[in-house]
Amino acid sequence: MKWSQFFNTSIGKKLLVGATGLFLCSFVIVHLAGNFSLLKEDGGEAFNLYAAFMGHNPLIQFIAWGLKVVIVIHLVLALQLTFRNRAARPVKYAVRPGNQTSSWYSRQMAIMGSVLLIFIVIHLAQFWWRMHYGEMNVAMYDGKETGNLYEVVWFAFKESWIVALYVIGMIALSFHLIHGFKSACQTFGLNHKKYNGIINFIGVWLFGVLIPIGFAAIPVVIFIKQI
Amino acid sequence: MKLTLKIWRQQNTKDKGKFESYQVSDVSKDMSFLELFDVLNERLINEGKDPVAFDHDCREGICGACSMYINGRAHGPWDETTTCQLHMRAYNDGDTIVVEPWRAKAFPVIKDLTVDRSAFDRIIQAGGYISVNTGNAVDANAIPIDKFDADNAFAAAACIGCGACVAACKNSSAMLFTSAKVSQLALLPQGHPERKQRAMDMVAQMDKEGFGSCTNTGACEAECPKGISLTNIARLNREFIGAGLTSEG
Repeated sequence: MKWSQFFNTSIGKKLLVGATGLFLCSFVIVHLAGNFSLLKEDGGEAFNLYAAFMGHNPLIQFIAWGLKVVIVIHLVLALQLTFRNRAARPVKYAVRPGNQTSSWYSRQMAIMGSVLLIFIVIHLAQFWWRMHYGEMNVAMYDGKETGNLYEVVWFAFKESWIVALYVIGMIALSFHLIHGFKSACQTFGLNHKKYNGIINFIGVWLFGVLIPIGFAAIPVVIFIKQI
Repeated sequence: MKLTLKIWRQQNTKDKGKFESYQVSDVSKDMSFLELFDVLNERLINEGKDPVAFDHDCREGICGACSMYINGRAHGPWDETTTCQLHMRAYNDGDTIVVEPWRAKAFPVIKDLTVDRSAFDRIIQAGGYISVNTGNAVDANAIPIDKFDADNAFAAAACIGCGACVAACKNSSAMLFTSAKVSQLALLPQGHPERKQRAMDMVAQMDKEGFGSCTNTGACEAECPKGISLTNIARLNREFIGAGLTSEG
């Protein structure tokens, strides 16, 4: 079986969706760790230096481009599979089982993923675009100039509707990852009595609860501090 | 009991089909679901009408012929039960029961509630066999097989190929069926020589038939009348990925 044939099968495509998904899971951990510097009460020094480092370090820049490629692969293949799956049942059932045989979030991965995509586009336009191509004030640390992204973020999270948007985005992230992490493991063939407990635990508690709550807490805390 | 049945009626594959309602009275709680259909069909025949076409054979829960999607559930509301073993004590007087055929592009409706499941046969033909003659049954333990593997192979072999997994899956995926068939052979020594080719060929045929892909919702496992486990799907993934990544062809 050639590579082209392998990655054209349903399982081959799922393998890529799972692998890119797990890479994105590792990304959210790093992203959250950096974001916590927003809450440090130092006038933004830690966060601005962190943002400058992430924006200029060549290795990070390389990984950042890889990240964009990974998101596109994840998206395109997941869409292909979704359309194929829809086409596999041209006539729908009149009565459906609801949540009797499966959880709602396991069935709505495409919807949650779409909400996340919209969120990512807004989020990038708001901060990433501004940092790279927009204008912002300059901050000086030890004689070095950096853009004051901290100020931009704090200003953005004064608006309650933006905070609400971030919370909604993180609810989608939570349910997408509760199923996504476990599902990716199953696609890799990782289903074993000894490890299922830990896979479930990581999927639900780390990716489904801790990380989304951590992300959502930052805009909420910044909003509350500025009331 | 008096029941209202809303049954999918479709003349042939090309017909659009529609639901028709039937009132059935004097339904005994001890009847099986298929016996309810026998009663209804006798009445329809006496009235000179076309009886409802449905698949059935052994009526013992082991052949895999019956295939009704009842009130949104493949084989009805009871766990690990085929339609023929579902009994009317599952219902109450005055209930309305909606009965549909398995819905999947790969399972076209032949008539009413009967669907063409030969896509499953073609998946088996693609690799669900052992090419050499294995001869007569040998003495027990002549070939040493781990008890754990033997039990798992047996559990996978319990698949009756009814298609409830496809019917229950939101993607009409045939992964539970294919994985059970791959597993029962992959776990036993006789199945080893053709292991890689089998996994690749059966998955290729499964895709070709137009089944969807697995999104691990677990609906198939919940509806399987033989309790085939999702661990088989993980095994098929391992078999296929291992074969695909290492094959030289």
